[in-house]
Amino acid sequence: MTGRARLVMLWENSAMSFRSILSNKVRAFLTALGVVIGVASVIGLTALGHGAGIAVESRLSNLGANLLIVYSGEPRGTSLVRQRTTNIAPMLTADDLEFIDSLPSDLVVKTARESSQNGQLKFENRNTVATVIGTDPNYPDIRNFHPMYGSFFSELDMESRRNVVAIGVQTYRELFPDGRDPLGATIRINGLPFHVIAIMEEKGSPTQDASVLIPFTTYRRSLSGSDNYAIINIQAASTDVMYELQSTIENEMLRLRRVPSMEMANFYIANQMDLIGTVTGVADTFTLLLAGIAAISLLVGGIGIMNIMLVSVTERTREIGVRMALGAKGRHVMTQFLTEAVILSAGGGLIGVLLGYLFSWGAQRFGGLASVVTPDSVLIAFSFAVVIGLFFGGYPAYRASRLDPIEALRYE
Amino acid sequence: MIHISDIHKRYQMGPTMVNALGGVSLQIEAGEFVAITGPSGSGKSTLMNIIGCLDSPDSGSYLLAGEEVAELAPDDLAEIRNLRVGFVFQTFNLLPRATALENVELPLIYRGIGARRRRATAQAMLERVGLDDRMTHLPTELSGGQSQRVAIARALVGGPALILADEPTGALDTRTGEEIMALFEELNHDGVTLILVTHDNALAAHADRLVRLLDGLIVDNRAGVIV
Repeated sequence: MTGRARLVMLWENSAMSFRSILSNKVRAFLTALGVVIGVASVIGLTALGHGAGIAVESRLSNLGANLLIVYSGEPRGTSLVRQRTTNIAPMLTADDLEFIDSLPSDLVVKTARESSQNGQLKFENRNTVATVIGTDPNYPDIRNFHPMYGSFFSELDMESRRNVVAIGVQTYRELFPDGRDPLGATIRINGLPFHVIAIMEEKGSPTQDASVLIPFTTYRRSLSGSDNYAIINIQAASTDVMYELQSTIENEMLRLRRVPSMEMANFYIANQMDLIGTVTGVADTFTLLLAGIAAISLLVGGIGIMNIMLVSVTERTREIGVRMALGAKGRHVMTQFLTEAVILSAGGGLIGVLLGYLFSWGAQRFGGLASVVTPDSVLIAFSFAVVIGLFFGGYPAYRASRLDPIEALRYE
Repeated sequence: MIHISDIHKRYQMGPTMVNALGGVSLQIEAGEFVAITGPSGSGKSTLMNIIGCLDSPDSGSYLLAGEEVAELAPDDLAEIRNLRVGFVFQTFNLLPRATALENVELPLIYRGIGARRRRATAQAMLERVGLDDRMTHLPTELSGGQSQRVAIARALVGGPALILADEPTGALDTRTGEEIMALFEELNHDGVTLILVTHDNALAAHADRLVRLLDGLIVDNRAGVIV
């Protein structure tokens, strides 16, 4: 058979299949429905799983970019988002910080010390309690926690140990319920006067929104009296170096402490990569599970196609006989029914893709769920639908192609 | 055109073997109009199926247009049918969802001929059988006689070596049946080789030659029979 003849056959097969499908629209629709639902749910559920993963990831990177945090105290897993970080006994020393700061800039970009305790805040006749954090001017950049009004304290404020404070938005609302401009106002922290220089942006986390930030030098002199710190925040140069950086710091700090292993150390390092890895790992597993369940419904849809194709072959036995008498070879009959099965499954797949997008859009618009359709899921679900059409249409088509023309012509 | 020599064909029917053809030899020349008759069970249908390349004999030789076709595989037989044989059935066997024109195009599709040439050839063939005004009608919109004309056009469209008509008037009233027979005679007059399979002796009388089968053997093979 020449290439042109093949092309003619392919075109005619498609035309015949379309005609046969259109001649029984309701049945065709019901047959394809299984595939439609299967493809739509693969795409829709994957979109939900993926959306959830992205949402968590963006919340995590909201903590700061390439963040490593050295904590005082016993290791407690990767508690980067631990709720309580106040009142940790400060056991990190100037030697630790000096080592970290001495690392090359392709490992460490910047660092910020941090200690905190609860403090009593007062403005005029209003009182509130907040976490008072003593830290360095780098803190906003490292923790991705910036002033929304005013400006954060500077190196000069640090050197002069000025009594200046950047207040969290919740603290601002409690101390200044009339919404007045707080810049320049003097509030008291544990009885000491502090000038308000900034309001921090809202983070939606009570630990941050109900905190106030003062220069570390001021904190050391006026509140803690300790030279040590509870936390060292580190911004690594890139995500690629974070594990290398973590082990470098761990080794040096163990050496400084003359402690053989992390199990016995009085510090631990939380790595943003671990957390993102864990969370996205969970999200990926979840997505895979959902897609797997959806794929089963796609498989069931395929069985529906096989069922109807078998009925269709039986119903059209005489037609097959006529075609064979007129010169149709086995493979002509086979391709005709295969084409029909694939058109059903691919058509169902196409509708399913549209429905999947619609589902994802609706989940976002009306369900308030993060939902992102991935091109991969569309491609995989659609190809799977076509493969299912080929696979489950294959047996009926093969049966049709093996009919004896004499028997088929005699079939009533 | 057709050279059949010593063909045997046996069928398993339930527990017994049926000798459908027990050594049949037959020659049909191009342009002939031959009727094959015989009572049911005579082997008439089996012979027709073998002549039409729908079936193969167990033994013997069958030369069709100079080509030995007795031992071809199913797909090769399909190709021979497509190129050499035109079928006309008792119940027309038009595809119900295809128009008259599309039905006539079918054999050309399996020959891989492009749409434009196919259409033109099929149109010409429908005109020849007198259906210029029914080309886009579906079989359900055609009378019995019109349907059989479509079927004849379909049988003719590929320019076959022979037309095999199996009780072509069996589903038609007498008058329409006579019209169809007149069309066959006209086609034969134009040079088409025609084999008519029937149990109706009156119909067989239209043919130039009569071949009668009984119990799987040819018992009568003569020209110009009048019953």
